[in-house]
Amino acid sequence: MTDQGPERGGLGGVADAVVETRGRPSIVWLIPLVAALVGAFVAYRAISERGPEITITFKTAGGLEAGKTKLKYKDVEVGVVEEVRLSPDLSSVVCRARMVKGSEEYLREKSQFWVVEPRIAGGQVSGLTTLLSGAYIGVDPIREGKRSRSFIGLEEPPIVTTDESGRFFVLRSTGAGAIGVGSPVFFRRIEVGRVVSSQLDPADDFVTTRIFVQAPFDQRVHASSRFWNASGIDVSVSSSGVKIDTESLVSILIGGIAFDAPEHAGEAVAAQDTVFPLYENEEASKTRHYTKSVAYLLHFDQSVRGLAVGAPVEFRGITVGEVTEVTLEFDTKLDQFRIPVVIEIQPERFTTILDEKTRDQALDKLVASGMRAQLKSGNLLTGQLIVALDIFENAKPAQIAWGGPVPELPTIPTPLEEITANLTHLVDKLSRFPVDQLGDELNASLKELRGTLAQAERTLASANSMIGPDSDVREELARALLELGDAARSLGLAADQIESQPDSLIFGKKGSK
Amino acid sequence: MSAAEATALAASCARCHDCGLLCRLPGPAPHGARCARCGAELHLRKPGSLERTWALVIAAALCYVPANVFPVMMVTSFGQVASDTIFSGVIYFLTHGMWPLAVVVFVASIFVPVLKLASLTFLLISVQRRSSWRPVERTRLYRVTEAIGRWSMVDIFAITILVALVRLGNLATIDAGPGAVFFGAVVVITMLAAESFDPRLIWDRIEVRKA
Repeated sequence: MTDQGPERGGLGGVADAVVETRGRPSIVWLIPLVAALVGAFVAYRAISERGPEITITFKTAGGLEAGKTKLKYKDVEVGVVEEVRLSPDLSSVVCRARMVKGSEEYLREKSQFWVVEPRIAGGQVSGLTTLLSGAYIGVDPIREGKRSRSFIGLEEPPIVTTDESGRFFVLRSTGAGAIGVGSPVFFRRIEVGRVVSSQLDPADDFVTTRIFVQAPFDQRVHASSRFWNASGIDVSVSSSGVKIDTESLVSILIGGIAFDAPEHAGEAVAAQDTVFPLYENEEASKTRHYTKSVAYLLHFDQSVRGLAVGAPVEFRGITVGEVTEVTLEFDTKLDQFRIPVVIEIQPERFTTILDEKTRDQALDKLVASGMRAQLKSGNLLTGQLIVALDIFENAKPAQIAWGGPVPELPTIPTPLEEITANLTHLVDKLSRFPVDQLGDELNASLKELRGTLAQAERTLASANSMIGPDSDVREELARALLELGDAARSLGLAADQIESQPDSLIFGKKGSK
Repeated sequence: MSAAEATALAASCARCHDCGLLCRLPGPAPHGARCARCGAELHLRKPGSLERTWALVIAAALCYVPANVFPVMMVTSFGQVASDTIFSGVIYFLTHGMWPLAVVVFVASIFVPVLKLASLTFLLISVQRRSSWRPVERTRLYRVTEAIGRWSMVDIFAITILVALVRLGNLATIDAGPGAVFFGAVVVITMLAAESFDPRLIWDRIEVRKA
């Protein structure tokens, strides 16, 4: 600004010089400049730090607050909920959230979002910190699929998040028992995993349970590992007493699954998603660990009285399978009753495991050389029958009928003679028993016995006088008994002492030192 | 007030800014003239008043935007951070039924800064356009602007006190947000702008016109 005017000179008529002041911009303009720069910088920072905006759809907005609820991954804040509104059709809640910069990479289709609230489930308490800080949205970034900006939130927190390393396995069983999602998986009574899902297989009515085993315990799951339902309490009463077996208090309440290590070391570790059978209990898993069985049909035309489902099928005395079905059918062609018996043979019981084709060929050969099924008495007392396989070299030639749904093995009738022969043999031996001689000898013995009895009477009388109420012996005996009682008491004390302080055996009583 | 009265300017006199002594100037455009008593430089009007005021008003206007966009206060309670801008604070008070507080915050933090910026801008434009429109009212407006400026600091004071007092660790902590810095800058810069404006400029044009 100019406060100067043209200089007024004293010389008349001389034009006044015009003094032009070049108004240099005042230094004060630096202030708006600085303000503008700072403002621009702050605005740039704010805009450049903005991450992508996403929408998550939840069923309800429980605990969600616009501007306050955070999105967290491993407790690190990765975003903030900016808006919570209802979907246009009022069926769900749409949550608009601003993520931090750089989160685009893991915001993909499979990423999971769920509300972390305090909850007590699956034997564990989680989300207690949210009691004070309020709910937040948990994020499980999964780098799979296409990039996405809108997600469907989970109603329950996922059992397994991607940052946990381990492997999934599939268990199949006929019933789920008390196992639910979140039930623990035990290995030697240590919790090593969780049940991820449990559902009915639509194809065959089996229950398919998916479990997750954490690393490094997943290395313990081998191809021959056996899984069993460890839910509840296992009480067994036997001659050795009552045995109560359980994995943990948690498994009593919410069920659980246990598995064991393989019997043979150095076995290959099971791959991800390997399918295992799930046994009802530990005992079942120990006794029946054959995963494959092959059914065969046998036709018997004799009485099968004593043959029950579950009866063993033996080959030369070694169990190779069991009877699974015993029915009765009437053959209209032959006008006679026949009894089809279905047996199952577990190929895994054999040390050499053949593939299906070789097995069938071998079976053909065996039958050609005389292998037949036969009913045999398993227990003479109860009359239980078993199915025995054996080779009868002089049997009539027969073949395996491969035609039906279940291949039929030829049978050979149990010769009644065999049983009767056994009986006659027994009767023979009985008849050869020298009854007459036995009677004579018995007579003599009885006489001798009479003499002995008289002598015994005498002996008893003298004994009586010895141990009578006033006898010395009796008195001494009473004293001895008292002393014995004392001795027993002190022995009991010593035993207690040893039990509580086993080292006292060597070092003596602690107090006596 | 009659415009015909004699002014110091017309009499080639200037009043010292510092000690108030009226001095006769050697010429109509004094340069380097100093007060006879205290030695302060003499000016007829505040030097560069319009330019300086303009600069400060623009700077204040620039700062006013982030002051309202960014949070002024961040309350951390039980690990949950709630950040409030000036306006969200007003709405918070209003929705929680504390309308007297809402009015105070609104007047001190929103109404007054805007009033100051607007009135200063209006005064600057009117002076530059050599307007002779209602000089008395405009002078009164200037006086009001200067007087109320400092009251905008109420918000900043409240925040500074809360920040110092509420330090309960995880339980509750209050922090000043970036908006507070900008808001403080707005208040200070508008006060400086009001200070640097010379209200005599309003009357100068009228004197010139009368002369």
